[in-house]
Amino acid sequence: MYQSKWRSLTNHIILILGSLFMIMPVWIAFASSTHTREFLFQNGLQFMPGGHFFDNYGKILFDQSATKGRVTALQMLFNSMVLGLGFAIGKVIISMMAAYAIVYFRFRLAMPLFWVIFATLLLPLEVRIVPSYEVVAKLGLLNSYTGLILPLIASATGTFFFRQFYRSVPDELLEAARLDGAGPWRFFIDILVPLSVTMIAAIFIIMFVVGWNQYLWPLLMTTDDQLYTIVIGIKQVYNSLYEGGQIPQFPKAFALTIMASIPPVLVVVIFQRMFIRGLVETEK
Amino acid sequence: MATLNLKQVEKTYAHGYKAIHGINLEIADGEFAVLVGPSGCGKSTLLRMIAGLETISTGDISIEDRVVNTIAPADRDIAMVFQNYALYPHMSNYANMAYGLKNRGYSKVEIDRRVREAGTILQLTELLDRKPRQLSGGQRQRVAMGRAIVREPKVFLFDEPLSNLDAKLRVDMRLEIKNLQQRLGTTSVYVTHDQVEAMTLADRLIVMNGGVAEQIGSPIDIYNAPATQFVAGFIGSPSMNFLSGRVSNDRSHVVLTDGTRLALDHNVAENRDVIVGIRPEHLSITTPTSSSIAAKVRITESLGAETLVYLTFGSKNEAITLRMQGTHKYAAGDELTLYSNPAQIHLFDQASGRRI
Repeated sequence: MYQSKWRSLTNHIILILGSLFMIMPVWIAFASSTHTREFLFQNGLQFMPGGHFFDNYGKILFDQSATKGRVTALQMLFNSMVLGLGFAIGKVIISMMAAYAIVYFRFRLAMPLFWVIFATLLLPLEVRIVPSYEVVAKLGLLNSYTGLILPLIASATGTFFFRQFYRSVPDELLEAARLDGAGPWRFFIDILVPLSVTMIAAIFIIMFVVGWNQYLWPLLMTTDDQLYTIVIGIKQVYNSLYEGGQIPQFPKAFALTIMASIPPVLVVVIFQRMFIRGLVETEK
Repeated sequence: MATLNLKQVEKTYAHGYKAIHGINLEIADGEFAVLVGPSGCGKSTLLRMIAGLETISTGDISIEDRVVNTIAPADRDIAMVFQNYALYPHMSNYANMAYGLKNRGYSKVEIDRRVREAGTILQLTELLDRKPRQLSGGQRQRVAMGRAIVREPKVFLFDEPLSNLDAKLRVDMRLEIKNLQQRLGTTSVYVTHDQVEAMTLADRLIVMNGGVAEQIGSPIDIYNAPATQFVAGFIGSPSMNFLSGRVSNDRSHVVLTDGTRLALDHNVAENRDVIVGIRPEHLSITTPTSSSIAAKVRITESLGAETLVYLTFGSKNEAITLRMQGTHKYAAGDELTLYSNPAQIHLFDQASGRRI
């Protein structure tokens, strides 16, 4: 008992220190975002919150002049939301259908095609970004949500996970559905999709966060301020801070950072519940 | 209600393996046919071919005089019950049973009537709103049967439906299936590897081995006159005893490997090499005579109502099983003298395994 008490104490100390280590930067960013820029400039980063929370956050959310001058944080949040949701939902739908084709239909070259898709896992966006840009530009999709989302939604990772999942679904379910008069489409919608809810939630979480945090692609794709995502917005705010010899607007940059991190956290928290519930309830 | 005809049905897989070698079978309207055989004998393949889940290489399958070779499973007017139930886990039991009807465009009222009726027959009424995972194995299998019943198909197909249940439940469900089939009078094909299930359920038994129907007939006919050594060994529990021997010159008896003579009343050629088959329940203990077998006890198993005695016989230590009513005790090494009525001795050709 004596020893296990000590062990539990040391375990907790390590965990608490680790948590502090992770949380501290976020806390400092938050605390610093609630001071005036003059105060912050004179005194450096702050541990204790100041009294300008509503002032700073209100301005950055609703006042165009507070950022670069032509777009509010609210608009940028909306853009990021569109990108994140479009990216995640698009990826889930495309990869579910691709995996369905690969697992359930015997067509020629199914295996080679799967490996081709799988091999694209090795090619990150950065490798194909120039040709992708070229294609999107030629299609006239620059500065549009479509151009922002569409080239990114093909997903080898998603296809792979759904493939593995479908392969674990017993064949008898397919056979029972065939005897029940369900065609391929009905089987997919009525049986496979409901069974995949857990998987969908998991992929959605991952993909939403990835989509939300996209930086390079939106940066290339958008020249119109109205289409800036919040991740780009942070960078733009920093840039504009130094222009004109003013005191840098650190509090607003911090406020933007905090706001940028809230939606992914919410998505993870909300869908995590569904994800776990799905894990507990689903039985094949 | 319908007849089911199989004409010279064969199945060869793409890689050349021949799973079914020409099966001919006529199942009458309302008949309960059981396909039985060891694993890999092709019985499930044959059932799946009837269902349309496997293609037919050659031959014809017809349901009520309509050749269904190329007809989709859903349009064959059959319903199937799977070994692992194959219920849709995310749907309620009600929805599971209704799904096939919904896809076929039945009205809500009609679906509801049929599902409730099947629910009543199978005593599932209180469980209809639950999901399959909230049910026990037996209840799940009842839902799976409900799903088949509501379709009111021409033929029921059962693919080892009781294999996932525990022993006691299996006996109960066996009776239930038999009951249900008699009540509905639907032509049924049932696949099992369990010979007790096969014997008790079947109006007609099809014993399969290596893709061939070794024997087709009523369970009792097959028990009394197995056509081959394989059938003889497969049907009946414990298995029939087989001893090799040779028919004597005067054809009055068979000489076993150690010289033991057993009286025969078969019409069989002299000096022919045969396999002698005697069921464990047809052996009895006797005093030594000119037609008796002397064997040594190896192990005794007491089941209460009966006792199984495992013995070895002769110089080659051939195994013999004896089944006796009541409780008996023998020590290992005890010598017993066994006797069988000549009428209950089966003879098989040593080369072909065919009944003589």
